[in-house]
Amino acid sequence: MSRQQVLFFSLLVAFLAACTTIQAPTSPVAEEGAVFTELTFLISGDPTDQTAYQTLIDAFSTEHTDISINLINIPSGGDFRKRLAADFAAGTPPDVFLINYRHLGHFFAANAVEPLTDYLAASTLIRTDDYYAEALTAFQWQGKQMCMPQNISSPVVYYNKDLFNAAGIAYPSDDWHWDEFVTTAQALTQDQDGDGTADIYGLGMEATIVRAAPFIWMNGGEILDDEAAPAGLALDSPESKAALAWFVGLQTEHHVVPNAVAEEAESSLSRFVNGRMAMFVDSRRAVPEFRLIESFDWDVAALPVSQQRASVLHSDAFCMAAAGQQQDATWAFIEFASGVEGQTILAQTGRTVPSRKALAESESFLDPNAKPANSRVFLDAVPGMRHLPLMATWSDIEGIVSKHIENAFYGIETVDEAIEAANQQSAEFFPVP
Amino acid sequence: MQQNEGLLDSVILRKKILAFWHNRHVSSYQLELGLLLTPFLLGTAVLLLLPMLLTIFLAFTSYNAFTPPQWNGLQNFITIFQRDVFWIAVRNSLVYVSFSAPLQLLGALLLALLLYHQRYGVREYRIAAFLPSVIPEVAYALIWLWIFNPLYGPLNKLLGWVGLPEQAWLVNTATALPSLIFMSCFRLGEGMFVLIAALQGIPPAYFQAAALDGGSRWQILRHIILPLLTPWLLLLLLRDILLSTQSSFAPVYMMTEGGPGYATMLLPYLIYDEAFSHFRLGHAASMLLVMFVVMGILLWLVYRLLGGWGYTDEI
Repeated sequence: MSRQQVLFFSLLVAFLAACTTIQAPTSPVAEEGAVFTELTFLISGDPTDQTAYQTLIDAFSTEHTDISINLINIPSGGDFRKRLAADFAAGTPPDVFLINYRHLGHFFAANAVEPLTDYLAASTLIRTDDYYAEALTAFQWQGKQMCMPQNISSPVVYYNKDLFNAAGIAYPSDDWHWDEFVTTAQALTQDQDGDGTADIYGLGMEATIVRAAPFIWMNGGEILDDEAAPAGLALDSPESKAALAWFVGLQTEHHVVPNAVAEEAESSLSRFVNGRMAMFVDSRRAVPEFRLIESFDWDVAALPVSQQRASVLHSDAFCMAAAGQQQDATWAFIEFASGVEGQTILAQTGRTVPSRKALAESESFLDPNAKPANSRVFLDAVPGMRHLPLMATWSDIEGIVSKHIENAFYGIETVDEAIEAANQQSAEFFPVP
Repeated sequence: MQQNEGLLDSVILRKKILAFWHNRHVSSYQLELGLLLTPFLLGTAVLLLLPMLLTIFLAFTSYNAFTPPQWNGLQNFITIFQRDVFWIAVRNSLVYVSFSAPLQLLGALLLALLLYHQRYGVREYRIAAFLPSVIPEVAYALIWLWIFNPLYGPLNKLLGWVGLPEQAWLVNTATALPSLIFMSCFRLGEGMFVLIAALQGIPPAYFQAAALDGGSRWQILRHIILPLLTPWLLLLLLRDILLSTQSSFAPVYMMTEGGPGYATMLLPYLIYDEAFSHFRLGHAASMLLVMFVVMGILLWLVYRLLGGWGYTDEI
């Protein structure tokens, strides 16, 4: 091909590219003359969640034909938060997004989220009294309700009833103690082929501050020195340290939890689903996947207690971007999603514990025909429920503390070393008094 | 006389016309060249130069993605230099690059020496050696995640069969970073092909002369092949240093997330985490700038230590 031909084809390609217009996504046809509003809604979930939220959007659209909502699902939670940050950085945030309160501090501190207090006050569809206060307070910043909580979940013990039956062990009671929890897990941990490695583990649990938090609080300890004005961690108090030592000892001392090698080889979640783990601590999010299990029967039990009952809030909320251009339409959607119809649709997935009190107490959630049979433990946990701090730097602090708890859990550091390292490395992320 | 002058004028005019056409031809060629290069240059400017300049600017600002960047001088550098995890990441990155790049080069050289002769089946071997280089980084990381599985992975199964102790690979702080370096050593296909081409360019007369003089294989390698390959080896080493730095992100992101502890925390992952998990884009940009400088110094040191491009004659 001669140079002239190369040049000709290059110019032709450039010309054709220039002539090609990017086809904008077509909007549903609104009635002639009607003003059509398009919103974007960003979530992070599995295909079940995506289907549920699409159903929610469809139900909303039948009532609001002038509003179209584009659902964007980023399945990985980490990627979701990164996408959200990139969208905000680019000045094109989603109109509404669903996010856990633990990751919201940055957004609130930067005034990136529109407060909903005034919208709530003017609403004729929803009232704050209808919701659990424990969920609402986790999304309040400087006295304002920033987002509307969609659920009020907490960690519980999922257990394989078949393995309990085979070992001749009674199912967990609602008021079991830490000691009973350990002996049960020990009795269920089995090395069936005698090779020195457990084939069935009694327990599986993430080694993070989120999982350790309820046990610290149950033992009378604290995570922060002052919840209202935190200046540092309080993990070195005797109560907190003892709780952490007990938590870490589940793996290092009692060996009822897979060690780092076994966890790397196969996750605890996978072991439980495959019937090779007797108990697994997780929040309500595990239910849709566990409902697909056909090889064994399972149920849920409350966390074991120590000095007092305690649990940690797991909650996501609908938040409105302050930079959003269609805030009235966005509120209409949040209002619908937080109302009876919206929460009923989402409760049907099994994944959420509704933040609306009446709905949580209804058969929509406590469905006797759907697993887990003992769903009430999620509601029983509410009175002792606390939430992790809402700080602009909480993601840093949580990351550092979790990293060192994991190190202690898998024997890389002692509990004392982990606490000291966490104190030292997290210090820069607390406000200077 | 007038006729001669007229002839002279016509010759001059003809020369002028020819010169004009010649000049026009040159400018037409330059125009073509410019037009063909324009898309690439535009892409380079928009996708590389502009972000690089923005990064340099952001390195001196406080920027959280929600509000406009605010100038804060050297504060970002002071903050990151005070953080242990930054120095751990710098140390780990230097260890990773210092082993990964030379090992890739050594592997490429050995394979090139084995496979540059045209023999039966050599093409299949070359394809097999090249395959790891064309697998997307994410897929490559997932494959190695399976290979390194401490209980079910083929690597430990193999060690068990030959009676060697099985390893925890990515779980043990002592073996996690070496494991990532090990897996990077197999992406050497491009280097191998460059060196095969370089080897095939060495005049056969050199080898014939060496054979006549009774030169051993080692002497031929030491005194003929390696000196003649020096420019290629240096080029590939510099390239591998840069690529190792960049390509270390995917395995850390997919396989270890910097753990266990901070054993595999490398600068590209720390920068990403700082920017998109903690919204400190100013800190991330300052780390990136430090990484540029460190890599620049490393490349310069390698270039100087190896004495520049070495043998400069055409081969």
